[in-house]
Amino acid sequence: MGLIDVSGLSVTFIAAGRRVRAVRDVSFSVGRGESYGIVGESGSGKSTVLRALVGLAPVSGGQMTMDGAALQGARPAAFYRKVQMVFQDPYASLHPRHTVDRVLSEPLAIHGFTDRDARIARALDDVGLGQGFRFRYPHQLSGGQRQRVAIARAIILEPEVLLLDEPTSALDASIQAEVLNLLDRLRGERGLTYVLVSHDLAVVAHMCERLLVMQHGRAVEEMTRESLRAQAATQDYTRALLTASEGYRPA
Amino acid sequence: MSGALLTVDNLRISFPTRQGRAEVVRGVSFTLGRERLGIVGESGSGKSQTGRAILGLTPPPGRAEADTLRFDGRDLRHATAADWRSLRGRRISMVMQDPKFSLNPVMSIGRQLMEAAARTASSRTEARAKALAMLEAVQIRDPERVFHAYPHELSGGMGQRVMIAMMLIPEPDLLIADEPTSALDVTVQIEVLRILDALVKERGMGLIFISHDLRLVSSFCDRVLVMYAGRVVEEVKASDLMQAKHPYTQGLFRCLPRIEGGTRPLPTLQRDAEWAR
Repeated sequence: MGLIDVSGLSVTFIAAGRRVRAVRDVSFSVGRGESYGIVGESGSGKSTVLRALVGLAPVSGGQMTMDGAALQGARPAAFYRKVQMVFQDPYASLHPRHTVDRVLSEPLAIHGFTDRDARIARALDDVGLGQGFRFRYPHQLSGGQRQRVAIARAIILEPEVLLLDEPTSALDASIQAEVLNLLDRLRGERGLTYVLVSHDLAVVAHMCERLLVMQHGRAVEEMTRESLRAQAATQDYTRALLTASEGYRPA
Repeated sequence: MSGALLTVDNLRISFPTRQGRAEVVRGVSFTLGRERLGIVGESGSGKSQTGRAILGLTPPPGRAEADTLRFDGRDLRHATAADWRSLRGRRISMVMQDPKFSLNPVMSIGRQLMEAAARTASSRTEARAKALAMLEAVQIRDPERVFHAYPHELSGGMGQRVMIAMMLIPEPDLLIADEPTSALDVTVQIEVLRILDALVKERGMGLIFISHDLRLVSSFCDRVLVMYAGRVVEEVKASDLMQAKHPYTQGLFRCLPRIEGGTRPLPTLQRDAEWAR
């Protein structure tokens, strides 16, 4: 049994009388210390799976457990000590009128930490920003720096699991490399477990040992990094993704 | 030269700041025939501003100046508002990065597309048919539904495809595509590129493809300009991009993760102040 077990997960949104089944019967298991990727195109339900894990999506079926405990309804505060999320767009996920200091203080205040000052200093050092950034506003930071702040906000509670929703897709290639290296280093140092959602197969191949390919809300196939590298996909859709990610080929 | 659709010589774009004018594009020159020209660079390199300046869309108080800016024999440097109106959309069109800001939020997709089709269509029925056909051409699965939808009801990828459809309906001679496929899924991206490719090959459209995605540009375009800090640091044939000479281009390639595996940690780009000079 893994640290995170998801079986038969379904998420249904009801919008304007229409039922949208965003996730249908998805199962996977993530071991402690593992990095697990979810790959798919927009609308495949990959982000919704992450949101369902943290209780941000209306689950309509299936079970999720973490450390053997069932995840349902409102999560207790202790859950968020263990599980933190990093969102895709660092321009939208940081409050424009809060300084970095305030952004990082908030989770500490919510969880009743007393040594806030030292923790903020440490978190900023951990993500390679340093003290100089502590009293800046988001508009004074570049995209890569903002994403580092978002990562600092997630790791400041010393969680066990990071849920990463397209953490680098808003960033330039050179900055993406820096952020991926940072995430890699943090995982090595702290034994974190990652669930990383991305549309970029290359990012997932670099970061994750195993991955799940999703399409239209369903799991298409689960692969290991080795089978992905060997292009040993068994499903047509995965093969199409692999071909497409090599670039353009004239018909 | 008869082959050149667009000639740009020594394009400079500057914005006033408290420290004086800041030049964001510093002397960019290129010519474009009926081909696919890629402009790559990171955010802030001036690639988008270069694209906008060709359409006279440098936002004030920014200023664009050039020694030559000629499109199909017309000098665009002193173009009047009426000149621009006759060019924009009809002869030169542009697909912008973000559909959220480029589509009219209070008009249905269908109406916006029919507006684009109105000039070439003889009737409303024909305009409607054109709009629906173009939605299908950009791989929208349910064109009828999208036709009646409003922009907020579409995902980013769908909005982007709608934008592309809208820009292609008037069949322009030059299309400036600013990160047109960055919001799209890889499989859809390839389909959209195929549409653009067909337009270049069959209709002889000129295409300026602005992107940060080196791998995509190297596989799609004929020629590539690599921009850094407002300058073109390298111009190469797309097929030779892997063997690029400039350390910046090489560095950008190296820092991409690869499916087939590479080094861990990823090599990062070490910038050299020399490159910006």
